Amino acid sequence: MREGACKLLAACSQREQTLEATKSLLVCNSRILSYMGELQRRKEAQVLGKSGRPSDGGRLLAERSPCRGRVCISDLRIPLMWKDTEYFKNKGDLHRWAVFLLLQLGEDIQDTEMILVDRTLTDITFQNHLIFTEAGPDFRLRLELYGACLEEDGALAGAPRRLATKLSSSLGRSSGRRVRASLESAGGSASSPVLLPTPAVGGPRYHLLAHTTLTLAAVQDGFRTHDLTLASHEEHPAWLPLYGSVCCRLVAQPLCMTQPTASGSLRVQQAGERQDWARVHGVLKGTNLLCYRQPEDADAGKEPLFTIAINKDTRVQAGELDQTTGRPFTLSISNRYGEDKVTHTLQAESRGALQSWMEALWQLFFDMSQWKQCCDEIMKIETPAPRKPPQALAKQRSLYHEMAIEPLDDIAAVTDILAQREGVRLETTPPWLAMFADQPALPRPCSPASVAPARTHPPSWGRPRTFSLDAVPPDHSAEAPRLVAPLPPHRSPRSRGLGRKGSPRTWLQSPV
Amino acid sequence: MSYIPGQPVTAVVQRVEIHKLRQGENLILGFSIGGGIDQDPSQNPFSEDKTDKGIYVTRVSEGGPAEIAGLQIGDKIMQVNGWDMTMVTHDQARKRLTKRSEEVVRLLVTRQSLQKAVHQSMLS
Repeated sequence: MREGACKLLAACSQREQTLEATKSLLVCNSRILSYMGELQRRKEAQVLGKSGRPSDGGRLLAERSPCRGRVCISDLRIPLMWKDTEYFKNKGDLHRWAVFLLLQLGEDIQDTEMILVDRTLTDITFQNHLIFTEAGPDFRLRLELYGACLEEDGALAGAPRRLATKLSSSLGRSSGRRVRASLESAGGSASSPVLLPTPAVGGPRYHLLAHTTLTLAAVQDGFRTHDLTLASHEEHPAWLPLYGSVCCRLVAQPLCMTQPTASGSLRVQQAGERQDWARVHGVLKGTNLLCYRQPEDADAGKEPLFTIAINKDTRVQAGELDQTTGRPFTLSISNRYGEDKVTHTLQAESRGALQSWMEALWQLFFDMSQWKQCCDEIMKIETPAPRKPPQALAKQRSLYHEMAIEPLDDIAAVTDILAQREGVRLETTPPWLAMFADQPALPRPCSPASVAPARTHPPSWGRPRTFSLDAVPPDHSAEAPRLVAPLPPHRSPRSRGLGRKGSPRTWLQSPV
Repeated sequence: MSYIPGQPVTAVVQRVEIHKLRQGENLILGFSIGGGIDQDPSQNPFSEDKTDKGIYVTRVSEGGPAEIAGLQIGDKIMQVNGWDMTMVTHDQARKRLTKRSEEVVRLLVTRQSLQKAVHQSMLS
């Protein structure tokens, strides 16, 4: 995969492709490193295992390993802190960066999509859901933020070095510094040390900007902010003004919560009646022991007969009890609900069954103690949506250009849009428009502004004009057929417009 | 109802209390307005005086909150919740009616039939 990425990088012509390819290269390199490390560890363990004697002590006292779980991190957001010099005094340069996050848990490395950042963003937001399976409660999730500085098109991309140096000295201080640094580093070696030599690759270089490590303590069914350790400083070519924290939703689902850990047939003592013991099919899942009437009910997903809660405060006791004289293989489960103590007494089928039930319960208690807050309630993990293709690099345009309704600059043209939208209704000329029908050629700016369905000549569009941010397009369509009231004759269209500057030509209508 | 600059305006008004209807994210009243000091008053089909730049009701949607409250097409809105509507731009008028924090708007409206009715009753 790495060779493929290198080849792709060499063949890339467009900038986005180059960035993506470089990112894949970096991810591959890290993966190779981690796999090699893991391989080393396993070899060592194997060698040690062969030489030493495997310990085979009493099962209950042997090391109990907690169950595995799924860890999901989503809604990652890194706030930025732009300096005022980014907006003012920077000669209009737009600094852009390509950033992505690399996450590593154990030997599993995953990356987020690549996001383009410039001063119009206040935060870097990643839409990815990343799920790591096979995580233990002692997991360490390492987050690394990589960024690459992008040059503007045509700036100094292909300029020879001497010219570039001359130019960079005449640019602004900070941008010149960056340019020089990137030129110097472009000829350098690859950014990450690899065991096998990488072919010399050109293109953008990613630098580590910040990192942090998250553990079980950071897991919560909600958003939390964590501190980032910044790895680069201002002189660094790819420095991004990070605020210093990262917000995310980190949840963990231990397997003991989502999958049943034990099941079997049990007899339960009913309340009140000492002698009547009902036969149920019990399933130990999560923090509950669900008792179904029949095994098929559990599979069918029906409601259990009753549920016994098993949590950190539950007490389990095995063996002969006073109430159960004569009945072997019993265990009792007690819970405290406020002041009351509720005890359920269960009988297993055989000693072996009792043993396995106890074992399952002890394992559950151990898992709960290890996974701590994850066992209080099942945290939701959503399946990640398919990855969207990376957003196209949009040329930064001034806010004003984006506001104009291209290529129109006339309220009449806005009505045109409405006319196209509403279709038939606007084609009937309102009766009062007949007043203007026999007008000799009015100069362009004086044409009636409300409805003009028939246009004989294409209008000449001037420069784009901006409209008020909350201007609502006029609701002419509904009105046109209803304006039956004759217009009073004293209205003389000829006199208005030409001489009077600024007199309104519209009579807007807005729905509220 | 003609407006002579410098002279106070008097009109017979009717109170209309409209309870906004929630449609998804928006609160709507169910009518359309036209007019404003930044608009061309000669195009107003409802005004008696074609130099009147006030805010007029140009459309009332059927069964909407405005119709239920008794607003009629052609009404001139004088006040909304105490805010004057006789000397406002079109946009200001729209904003005063569509404040998200207000669920009820109390309008003072005037219409020609009202004026006439009062005159009649005064004469008789």
